[in-house]
Amino acid sequence: MTSPSTPVADLSKAPLPTARTLRMRRSLPFQFTRFLAFNSRIMRMVVKGHH
Amino acid sequence: MAEIVILGAGVSGHTAALHLRRLLGREHTVTVVSPNSQWNWIPSNIWVGVGEMAKKDVVFPLAPVYARKGIGFRQAKAVAIRPKGDRDDSRGAVDIEYTCPEAAGTTEMLRYDYLINATGPRLRFEATEGMGPGGFTESVCTADHAIEANHRLREVIEVLKQGTPQTLVVGMGHGTCTCEGAAFEYVFNVDHELREAGVRDLARVVYLTNEAALGDFGVDGMVFDQQGFQTTSELWTGSLFRERGVEAILGAHVSKVEQGLIHYETLDGESHTLGFDFAMLIPPFGGVALKAYDADGADITGEIFAPSGFMKVDADYTVKPYEAWRAEDWPSTYAAPGYDNVWAVGIAFAPPHQISRPRKTPNGTLVAPSPPRTGMPSGVMGKTVALTIADRLKHGSSAPAHTASMARMGAACVASAGTGLTKGSAAAMTMLPVVPDYQRYPTGRDERETRGELGVHGHWVKLMLHYLFIYKAKARLGWQFIPE
Repeated sequence: MTSPSTPVADLSKAPLPTARTLRMRRSLPFQFTRFLAFNSRIMRMVVKGHH
Repeated sequence: MAEIVILGAGVSGHTAALHLRRLLGREHTVTVVSPNSQWNWIPSNIWVGVGEMAKKDVVFPLAPVYARKGIGFRQAKAVAIRPKGDRDDSRGAVDIEYTCPEAAGTTEMLRYDYLINATGPRLRFEATEGMGPGGFTESVCTADHAIEANHRLREVIEVLKQGTPQTLVVGMGHGTCTCEGAAFEYVFNVDHELREAGVRDLARVVYLTNEAALGDFGVDGMVFDQQGFQTTSELWTGSLFRERGVEAILGAHVSKVEQGLIHYETLDGESHTLGFDFAMLIPPFGGVALKAYDADGADITGEIFAPSGFMKVDADYTVKPYEAWRAEDWPSTYAAPGYDNVWAVGIAFAPPHQISRPRKTPNGTLVAPSPPRTGMPSGVMGKTVALTIADRLKHGSSAPAHTASMARMGAACVASAGTGLTKGSAAAMTMLPVVPDYQRYPTGRDERETRGELGVHGHWVKLMLHYLFIYKAKARLGWQFIPE
């Protein structure tokens, strides 16, 4: 059966980031700390998960 | 003296070759067979596909690296494997056919003592009529495909600048595709480019995927611990789609593409069409067309390879329902059953089953994202098999195999959502393990290590990995200290 409508997912309940969250995603000092945290997590995984 | 042959020079094959050369004395030979003359850092192809990088930024010639390191190189494609040798010699052999212009079509038989199959995927554009660079859609699977995709994208942006609305579709070209992460990255990079060009308001951007839910990524989604609450990757990615105004069509199997029109079926069995002015659809992957013969020349392809063309390894291939799938089903040594000197790594090994729950439409159409086995896990598998071979050559054939199960190892997935050192962003995710283990963790994965964050730092990580892995692949000073 062919339906002409486009079954687009309803994302109206998906949470939108607040203005503060958007600011933090662009804040270079804060993002630098996240950069370090992400890299340390990768290294932990390398140590824990690789044989 | 041992002869080691590696089929494929992608992440896993190239990693295995470099480590073997580092670990073994010069009395042993390491030979790589690859139909391509260049190495390609595929994760950055999406940036070529939006014009933010040139082809030269993501590829480099393999021959000079192999010449410098003392690794043999045949620019050729493997055609057949003879794991038991032939009537002349019981040593295993590989039939290859040269692809370099000066010897194209010439064949040769290479004998081996150890064989690593790291042939990567065959891009099955033919699985969907009208899909691919020879049809009506673009691809970012190779650097050349990505150049063409960017060319077409620029044309669409010019039309938008003249005030004509356009529909751009990015996603998966078949119900059994993998690499949803690449399509996810590309759709948000396209969105970013449209914003930078000041034409986003005139563009309809649609993400068309075989994932049953956003954030599935072919790994059954993820559960994150975020400020003391469990958050799913579905909610997290849904937020990004809503914020950026990208429409999502889920659980879709694309059946046919015509000029400006995609035909697809959704999980409820309904058939739909979607008009487009620009479409980038990832094809399903298959194993490369390799045959296998025994010593008498009898065809044993079905014994060595799964119907998908991927090589069978030490996985549990028993057919069982989704609820009975276990982490232990996944291979750990990547050795081919019955052959202690043949391995398959990276995309070349046959996974025991999907990671995401496979689904069928009421019409019987399979919509089942295939398991990703690229990037970090691919490199780890290549190194693991190299360590096994090196140990056996140093300590004898009884040396235990090294292991690296995807149900034990973690992976980082950094999905770019736009470039720029201060304006770019990426969804930076880590998961441990890649294959969820519900017997070990309530959510399938270690919640301390399974995280997802959005921000400029994600772009920095992606850019750092780009330069780091190209440096490593070029085998520059200290390359071995950069983890896989």
